[in-house]
Amino acid sequence: MDTIAFLAPLFEPQVLLAIALGTLGGLVIGALPGLTATMGVALLIPLTFGMTPVMGLNMLIGIYIGGIYGGCVSSILLRTPGTPASAATVLDGYPMAQKGAAGRALGMATIASTIGGLIAAVVLATLAPQLAGIALKFGAAEYFALALFGLTIIASLSGDLLKGAISGLLGILISTVGADPISGVMRYTFGIHGFASGFSFTPALIGLFALSELFTQMERIAANEEPIRGASGRWPTRAEMSESKGALIRGSLIGTLIGIIPGTGSGTASWIAYNETRRASKTPEKFGTGYAPGIAATESANNAVCAAALIPLLALGIPGDVVTAVLMGGLLIQGLAPGPMLFQTNPDVVVGMFGGTFIATIFMFIFGMALIPVFSRILMIPRRLLAMSIVVFCFIGAFSINLNPVDLYTMVGFGVLGWGMQKFGFSQAALCIALILGPLLESNLRRGLLQNDDNVLSFISTPITLLFLGLTVFSAAWPFLSRVITRNRAAQHQ
Amino acid sequence: MVLREQKADLWIGAGLLLFCGFVSWRTTYIKQGIGSSAAGPSFLPWLVIGLIALLSVLLIVRALRAERTPETDIMMPGKRVLVAMAGFTLLMICYAAAFMPIGYLPSTLVAFIVGLLLLGERNWLLVVLFPVGMTLAIYFGFTELLSVWLP
Repeated sequence: MDTIAFLAPLFEPQVLLAIALGTLGGLVIGALPGLTATMGVALLIPLTFGMTPVMGLNMLIGIYIGGIYGGCVSSILLRTPGTPASAATVLDGYPMAQKGAAGRALGMATIASTIGGLIAAVVLATLAPQLAGIALKFGAAEYFALALFGLTIIASLSGDLLKGAISGLLGILISTVGADPISGVMRYTFGIHGFASGFSFTPALIGLFALSELFTQMERIAANEEPIRGASGRWPTRAEMSESKGALIRGSLIGTLIGIIPGTGSGTASWIAYNETRRASKTPEKFGTGYAPGIAATESANNAVCAAALIPLLALGIPGDVVTAVLMGGLLIQGLAPGPMLFQTNPDVVVGMFGGTFIATIFMFIFGMALIPVFSRILMIPRRLLAMSIVVFCFIGAFSINLNPVDLYTMVGFGVLGWGMQKFGFSQAALCIALILGPLLESNLRRGLLQNDDNVLSFISTPITLLFLGLTVFSAAWPFLSRVITRNRAAQHQ
Repeated sequence: MVLREQKADLWIGAGLLLFCGFVSWRTTYIKQGIGSSAAGPSFLPWLVIGLIALLSVLLIVRALRAERTPETDIMMPGKRVLVAMAGFTLLMICYAAAFMPIGYLPSTLVAFIVGLLLLGERNWLLVVLFPVGMTLAIYFGFTELLSVWLP
């Protein structure tokens, strides 16, 4: 009875309007390259000062959910990840748009984001305190094992394993630029202060995927290749939906599980979901060629993280990722201290936030599906004008994150590197994954060694590390195992 | 222009080995922390440099042993396109350099027009009007609607 009473304020017109506007605003911010959900939430926190806690916090949740979803728009249409969370969506989203099915790709991303968001919201509403306990069991060794497992994605994503491994290692080496996470000692900064905090991830990512694509476009323009302008309908076909069922469930569950572990984030979740879906697929060779389940896996995972990341925030007072850290600021501004006591002292706010997550996800679906024809029109812009417009958006996006001009050079540098990698068969995705996971891997490896007097065996001392290390071995060996299985099956058929 | 993948891999492998040499030299400049752990600030860089060097040698060996297959050949852009791409890269570096001191509006307008010309756009109406409209629309959208500061 109480729960229904706590949910009632959500249906007041001004609260619904605030959630709707937040979700729409987040969607637009997420769709613009470089502008992240974090920035959206941070920018709009002052607007919530005068609002009730339920109204203000749900507006911020709307921006968060809309922002993470919005990233898929530019990933699919322009090969420019709107947010780091949608970098993996580029792999199948952009090729699908190139085949003239941009509308269906966006439709699949919207449906996947909605399903992922709703599944994680159900978990949030029913199991928040119990699941938060798992997050508390994660120490340095567990985070290291998780990061190592994440890096094995490289093995299955790279067509050429040797070049994929080199790309991944280069990514890890690049991620060590800047202040050492443990001692603060400077590494490879060459005295440039702008590099003290390392290469900014988002400008690097924009360069790696978007600017490198512009160079490829220049080749196509010179070769007079006609772009494919068809956008298709907005609904995925029945066959695409049927093929994507497993990917949707797998992505949602992986996103939920990764989301409750603080410090991992939606970028990690979407890459792991993509890899696991590809590995479980009977047609893994279709991934990366514009295959709908690839989009379903990444988008369901990154939106599942949104609701799941609220679990450690609300139940333990630990933000799950950067956006929830900013959201925590929103809670504190409202005079609320997140943590176990919040469930006792302000159940109305907790239940209101659970309900708001559902409503924001539904608004995201409505706006997302309604705007697909508008988004798809971007592809109608003549190629040269579109290319230069993307350059300007990339520059503003890269600059606005830290207002640091060094980020612009970083972006250009990674653009040239990305084009070269693409041309010579090296994996941009592997470099991207290593950039995300490199700092997590290094800081926890060294922290673990420091805490245990350099005892390497401490990394295999708990069930969670054993589980992840076992998965790491399996995942790294999978490309070879699958080849042997396929060969044996072929021999049996003959 | 067609480039043999094996030949490219050979050069890339050699380049990576040189890169490893350079980074190793720079790694010797990293100060060690005060902790007693063997895993100091240069622990991971050394590990990664060693692995990259090892894989680069493997890349070279593989390139030397592989036979030519036409389907792995790399299509390189022609000289004119390569010059245009180099020009485009230079333009972006200049744009990045001018962004803060000159400001968003003039630097973007000039970069936009020069970029369109480098991309081969020759319709003068589009070359002038589109950059003006787009630059102003982006400026208004980011500064007024999204409260993003632009120089």
